[in-house]
Amino acid sequence: MFILGFHFPADMGNDIPDAAVIAKLDEANVDTAGVNEIKMVTEYHGQKEELSYTNKDTFMFKALVHYVKTAETDYMIYTNRYQIAEISKRVDSDDETMALCKKFDSMAHFKITAA
Amino acid sequence: MAALRQIAFYGKGGIGKSTTSQNTLASMAFYFDKNIMIVGCDPKADSTRLILHEKAQNTILQLAAEMGTVEDLELEDALKPGAGIFAPENPHGWIQCTESGGPEPGVGCAGRGVITAINFLEEEGAYEAEGLDFVSYDVLGDVVCGGFAMPIREGKAQEIYIVMSGEMMAMYAANNISKGILKYANTGGVRLAGLICNARMTDFEYDLAKALATDLGTHMIHFVPRNNIVQRAEIRRMTVVEYSPKADQALEYKELARKIIANDFKIIPTPLEMDDLEDLIMKFGLDLEADEDNIGKAEAEA
Repeated sequence: MFILGFHFPADMGNDIPDAAVIAKLDEANVDTAGVNEIKMVTEYHGQKEELSYTNKDTFMFKALVHYVKTAETDYMIYTNRYQIAEISKRVDSDDETMALCKKFDSMAHFKITAA
Repeated sequence: MAALRQIAFYGKGGIGKSTTSQNTLASMAFYFDKNIMIVGCDPKADSTRLILHEKAQNTILQLAAEMGTVEDLELEDALKPGAGIFAPENPHGWIQCTESGGPEPGVGCAGRGVITAINFLEEEGAYEAEGLDFVSYDVLGDVVCGGFAMPIREGKAQEIYIVMSGEMMAMYAANNISKGILKYANTGGVRLAGLICNARMTDFEYDLAKALATDLGTHMIHFVPRNNIVQRAEIRRMTVVEYSPKADQALEYKELARKIIANDFKIIPTPLEMDDLEDLIMKFGLDLEADEDNIGKAEAEA
């Protein structure tokens, strides 16, 4: 299984606990200290929208910083984005994060940077 | 040297199997230096055109017919080196291509070509090529026809990737292919290695594809978004990886390639009953429209 690009061995089955994914993120030593904002630009059928996300106390923030720091480009792989939203809906609860999860569930194309 | 892995891409006709498989295999060769032989098992013989930059390769059945019998055919006549960055002399992995072919539409058994091709390749030593890492079979549609089940039935393909989407018939075919895998899992050792969602960008497609994967006991290994660059590359008879290696879509195929290379999650599937499949689609695919009272009603009525 692959979640957020992390490999989980076959003996863990196809239902990986969120805690195991969070543990992988922790092991990856994501340094969120210098990052205060995640900026995103979405595009769908030619309609562009700029987004900003600043809630540092969430799984979402950590996952996005990890993505930005490990991705080759600013393009967000769809699978990873959907998986981030899927877990965030279960482990985060604030309105800002839930609103971003809803955006992530769309078919739009996302570009992402950290500031 | 790592053991040869034999994989197969199955899925409903028209779902984008050949496009997905060629782009993914191209990524495995270009980004990860894997050496690959593609065996096209579709009478359309379009499983290799993007790698060869050709309209359609001469098939083993065609060549055998021209020669008289398949015994008169030489391996180098039927197995062609990839063009451009997939040629053997390039610094990355190489790809070699062959197509089984099939009869004229409406005449004969299409699966016969698959059987003939695999037997021919085995007898000619194609699977023993030095440095070969992967053999990939690109197989047409459903497995109702025993000929198309050949790579599964004979234990040739060990890991099956089903290309599907969130549309009902694609999911129906994925479930049916899983039944074929289940049938031969104990005798041939074939395993389901994952679903690849070649997205149609329909509502709740990720959730639907993931739910089907979970119910089958497997995983959705990757969600490939729709992107026009795939068509632009195809017009030039190229994969996206070769046409524009830094394009966003090339990164999607690269990630899928990375996962397939690292994938160790191979299972005997647990196919769904038809009613369960319908329920799944109602639950996720139609969601707001799925009220039982609305079945059979036009949009204006419901």
